[in-house]
Amino acid sequence: MTTTTVSADAVEPAGEQRGDPLIRAHGVWKVFGPHAERIIGSPDADLPRGELREKTGCVAAVRDVSLEVWPGEVFVVMGLSGSGKSTLVRTLIRLIEPTAGAIEITGRDVIAATPAELRDLRRHAVSMIFQHFGLLAHRRVIDNVAFGLEVQGVPKSKRLERAAEMLRLVGLEDAANQFPDQLSGGMQQRVGVARAFAVDPKVMLYDEPFSALDPLIRRDMQDEVCRLQEETGKTMIFITHDLPEALRLGDRIAIMRDGRFVQVGTPEEVVGSPADEYVANFVRDIPRSHVLTLRWIMRDARPGEEDGPRLDVQTTVREAVPMIAANERPVCAVDGAKVVGVVDRDAVLQAIAGERD
Amino acid sequence: MTRHLPRRSRLLLPLLVLALGAAAFAAVGSATAGAKSCGTVTLNEQAWAGSTANTYVTKYVLEHNLGCKVNITQIAEVPVYQAMADGKTDAVLEDWGHVDQQKQYVTKQKTVVMIGPNGVTGLIGWYIPDYLMKQYPQFKTWKGLKGKETIFKSPESGSQGMFLGGDPSYQQKDRTLIKALGLNLKFVSVGAEAAQVARWTQLYKQHKPVLFYWYDPQYLNATYKLDMVQLPKRFKGCRDDEKQGGDPKLYACAYPTYTLEKLFSKKFATSGSPAVKFLKKWSWTNADQSLVASYIAGDHMSPDKAAEKWVKANPKVVKKWLT
Amino acid sequence: MSVAAERVATIPRPAANQWWRHRLVLVGAVIGALVIVYQAWSNGYQWPSALEWKSLSTGLDNFQTWLSDQQSSAHPNVVFSVLNGISTGLDDLVSWLATLFHDLTWAGTTALGVLVTLRFGGVRAGLWVMGAFLSFAAMGLWEDCVQTFALMFAAVILSLVVGMPLGVLAGRSDRFQRAITPVLDAMQIVPAFAYLMPIVILFSVGPGAAVITTMIYSVPPAVRITALGIRGVPANTVEAAAAMGATRLQMLAKVQLPLARKMLLLSVNQTILFALSMVVIAGLINTGQGLGSLVTNGLNTNPALALLAGAAIVIMAISIDRATEAMAERTDPARMHVTEAIRGRLRVATAATGAAIGLAVGIGYALDAGSAYTNVGGSPDWLQARLQSALDYVENPSTFVFSITSWIGNHLVEYGLQPLQNFFVETPAPVMLAGLTLIALLLSGLRPAVMTFAMLAVIGVVGEWGSAMDTASQVIVALVLTMIVAFPLGVWVAESARVATIVRPILDVLQTLPQLVYLIPFIYLMPVSIVPGIIAAVLYASPVVIRLVAAGIREVTPNTVEAAQAFGATRTQVLLKVKIPLARDAIMLGVNQGIIMVLAVVVIGGLVGSGGLGYEVAYGLQQGQFGPGVVASLAILALGIALDRVTRGNRRPRLEGNR
Ligand SMILES: Nc1ncnc2c1ncn2[C@@H]1O[C@H](COP(=O)(O)OP(=O)(O)OP(=O)(O)O)[C@@H](O)[C@H]1O
Ligand SMILES: [Mg+2]
Repeated sequence: MTTTTVSADAVEPAGEQRGDPLIRAHGVWKVFGPHAERIIGSPDADLPRGELREKTGCVAAVRDVSLEVWPGEVFVVMGLSGSGKSTLVRTLIRLIEPTAGAIEITGRDVIAATPAELRDLRRHAVSMIFQHFGLLAHRRVIDNVAFGLEVQGVPKSKRLERAAEMLRLVGLEDAANQFPDQLSGGMQQRVGVARAFAVDPKVMLYDEPFSALDPLIRRDMQDEVCRLQEETGKTMIFITHDLPEALRLGDRIAIMRDGRFVQVGTPEEVVGSPADEYVANFVRDIPRSHVLTLRWIMRDARPGEEDGPRLDVQTTVREAVPMIAANERPVCAVDGAKVVGVVDRDAVLQAIAGERD
Repeated sequence: MTRHLPRRSRLLLPLLVLALGAAAFAAVGSATAGAKSCGTVTLNEQAWAGSTANTYVTKYVLEHNLGCKVNITQIAEVPVYQAMADGKTDAVLEDWGHVDQQKQYVTKQKTVVMIGPNGVTGLIGWYIPDYLMKQYPQFKTWKGLKGKETIFKSPESGSQGMFLGGDPSYQQKDRTLIKALGLNLKFVSVGAEAAQVARWTQLYKQHKPVLFYWYDPQYLNATYKLDMVQLPKRFKGCRDDEKQGGDPKLYACAYPTYTLEKLFSKKFATSGSPAVKFLKKWSWTNADQSLVASYIAGDHMSPDKAAEKWVKANPKVVKKWLT
Repeated sequence: MSVAAERVATIPRPAANQWWRHRLVLVGAVIGALVIVYQAWSNGYQWPSALEWKSLSTGLDNFQTWLSDQQSSAHPNVVFSVLNGISTGLDDLVSWLATLFHDLTWAGTTALGVLVTLRFGGVRAGLWVMGAFLSFAAMGLWEDCVQTFALMFAAVILSLVVGMPLGVLAGRSDRFQRAITPVLDAMQIVPAFAYLMPIVILFSVGPGAAVITTMIYSVPPAVRITALGIRGVPANTVEAAAAMGATRLQMLAKVQLPLARKMLLLSVNQTILFALSMVVIAGLINTGQGLGSLVTNGLNTNPALALLAGAAIVIMAISIDRATEAMAERTDPARMHVTEAIRGRLRVATAATGAAIGLAVGIGYALDAGSAYTNVGGSPDWLQARLQSALDYVENPSTFVFSITSWIGNHLVEYGLQPLQNFFVETPAPVMLAGLTLIALLLSGLRPAVMTFAMLAVIGVVGEWGSAMDTASQVIVALVLTMIVAFPLGVWVAESARVATIVRPILDVLQTLPQLVYLIPFIYLMPVSIVPGIIAAVLYASPVVIRLVAAGIREVTPNTVEAAQAFGATRTQVLLKVKIPLARDAIMLGVNQGIIMVLAVVVIGGLVGSGGLGYEVAYGLQQGQFGPGVVASLAILALGIALDRVTRGNRRPRLEGNR
């Protein structure tokens, strides 16, 4: 077992660097229980959860987590139940007061914010979507969607107009006058999503939004999120304990265990080189060929190999198999016009075989 | 009828009615004005039948002979002193001597005025049924109880005899008496008057022995034949005033006879209303009160009707009150 | 600031019920030891008089005198002027209400009540209200009902005005909740007799004082249930609103209050029931007449009339209860799904309701129904005569029924209650104190034991040891009987909808019918003291416990039950092994509320022969002695806290709420 903390900022985002990070958290702790603040910095802080609780009656839900998320990025936090994901995401907007740490969102210091500043941040900059929806049972769907605007004091006609627009966006325009308990789970979560989008935030926080939904609807909703993400370019932190979901959506994935980040990286990095046993167990059942790209398995081109058949370096192994199988020569992985490496049959076989151990 | 009237009369009719009404109103007004307006008198009725009798008989006379309007309040015995101090109640027609309250409101604050006796004398004492007295003539005095206590045994008195205590809100000192007289009795309180009555009447109906706190005038005394057990006038150990320790030279034991007092609020007493004069004068006997009380509590006649019946039957007494 | 409540990690409870097995054996041993001491040294050592605070009572008397002097002084200070203003304002409010109902005439008021209920609560509730109004007229008690209703209306409104904001605070702040709970307990346990005189001095007599006395008893349920409602709003909804940047006020107005709506209406309805159970006591210091004074005076002069008045109180309570409950159910927007079309129709219905009420008032005036209302039903004389003959039967000691009931009563006292009472009163005080503390330690742990010790010491110090032990013996018997009666009934009510519908009106009657009204007939049937008091306590406390137990068992999630059934458990097994253990918290809350309710009728016990502290309170206060009554009330309160701690068990800190 490793207790070394891996910080998200240790790994640069996969894509191009896009200015300053939008969310920056450093050394965030959350300890539940009496005299929580005394635990941080003491030797107790490194005790395993169970022992800590025995000894002090406290639960360390989040321990020394640091992360940075860049604009437009989807940052997924993943971990088993109880690993502290929900707590972490709540501390970011102080729905749960962090015990220690520094947090900054869109350049604003969240920890030092006055109640009014914090409200302003929650109203305009950040929206959250919850596992259990948190809809207002006594209001119509459209009023639910307009609630964030209502809280801001937007006039009624304006906010209803905006809410109707959002309902169209999530395909619920027909349900506007219904009440939440008349909708299916999937529809209710769409309302939750529409509600979050209605205030046009820069940052969206999703706390396991789809885990209460059945697999088919979940897939639909994931597509929806991908689409909205592409259309609107929001920055997202997405909590899940479902690895395929994480791989599908995430630009980067943080794996959380007992309150700590144990690995942060691109889907490929997580699947290709798990940091420890825990992560390895997580990713074992994932077909590596579906995740790994040619970049992951290529080697440097030897002289003379550079004119072989070409494939984009982002192509997944699975997609590359037919071409590689059909060609005697190693396939060239290209980034734009430039050949960055070659992939031969051995490499492919190894990548696929790796799935079985 | 109006259908057959010509159109103009239809308009006239309401006017006529109005005019007549106004005239009638004026007539009534002058009638009461002639009797020097009595206004409203507020009497307090307490929770025993004798008090109801007092209140309704005076109410009848006040309304019919003096043209007063009478309100009746039903405030408990002690709070009613404050009610009088605040002018919310004008008069209490039967007070059984609340020493502490009288000190506070009559002597010190002077917000309540004692007007004098209402003619009824209150007797408090230890009573037994007549059939028992016949059986044990020695029970005439308390000495006869000595050694015979156990015939009053009850489930809750253990090996002792039971003494049935009175309503906790009534004047009493029976626990002290039992101790002072050295009787082998257990003081058992069965609570409010209605509960105590339930208890002893039940034993009475079964012709069983019972010794209890009781008083007169009481309408039930007409239905049930009861006799008093004489308590010693003076006895070592009894105290005059249980609460303050009393004067050791005065070992008063038996309950005194109570002259029941009328109380007015200061405001009412000085108001000059004709009702003041009448109520000052008003007094009657134990027998009168018990009779009216038995109409009300025994025959379940409405208090107003009972009062009317008595007043009609006793015009001379009423006339004396009004002169 | 974060709105999300941070709960301290809950420590897991011991899994099995093993803990009490051996503890009970130890408790048995302690009791055994006490009995041996009792046999050997009975009446040996009472509470040492050196340890009594004798001047307390006189000090309190002096305080009352001082208060009275202040009040009557020529230049009353500001406080008294303010209080005077309050009571005058309340007086005016109540008489204004009474006049209003009067001016509406019987027909108009009936239409108002029935149609408003019909509009918001539906047909069934409307019929209940209609039946109530008809019966008031038929009993010939309309005038008194108007007086009482005006008083109750004012008291309930003000209780809600005071109680709901406090409840909201208690619902949102754990600290406030902890601080206010003992105050609420005290308000419900300390008998009204104890503060009647000070209230009269401060607020004079009249409707104002009656309203305030009533409020002291009816504010607690308003606070408790409101807090429960606010706490019951789903945490994730509150969190979602917080995440959207709602202010505290927005959270309250737009999220918490609307979602707690049903509970808020339940608190209205419980406040009404509690207020109505104070009618008789409020009548003692009210200047107007009403059902309360009919009961008080009727008991001595016309029991049948007292019984009728009691029935009117009950009918009023039940019909208001049904009406408010139906309104709560029917107007819940989360269930009603009000759309524009429905809203339009409702507006029309509201308008029609208003018009119909106006029409009824008109008709009332046209028919002079204001004075002729009594013609609606049968003659009250006839009714009274009927009731009287029933009472005569009860009062007759030569009936067969009497021979049975009196036998039961006598044996209960002779072989059960009397020995137990002797045991409590005559066991040397220090030994009893040690024994009870030890039992608390065994059953509930160190802190409760310390508290128990302190409270029992208070009882001794204020000089009420003997009376308190007397009362304690009866309270314990009443509590045990309440549990024996209420627990199975509560389970049964939870299990069978039919039983629930049958039992419910009975519970309402027991909660609101003035105890003296049904206890006096009992005294005729079981002419022996102590028993009626215990009956009063059991009958008054049972409804609350039954409701709590039933609610607890009903709330056990169907999933768990289903799982047990899947294993082939029988109905009894499901009940015994799943539902009851899971409803443990609600059941413990039931025990706790049972204690409060039993203590709340200790004074009534004093009025029907239970002696003990109840008698002391009634004796002291009706004699106009402030001190002894307050001292006895203090002892009742201390006894309540001690009993609560002894029976608390090692459950989690006490849950809140009434039923
Ligand atoms: N209010 C609280 N008080 C005490 N402990 C808490 C509280 N909230 C969470 N915890 C503890 O903190 C730990 C992390 O909880 P958290 O809800 O963040 O987990 P999670 O990763 O979101 O799990 P899941 O996937 O089940 O939602 C858990 O051990 C939990 O018991
Ligand atoms: Mg979670």
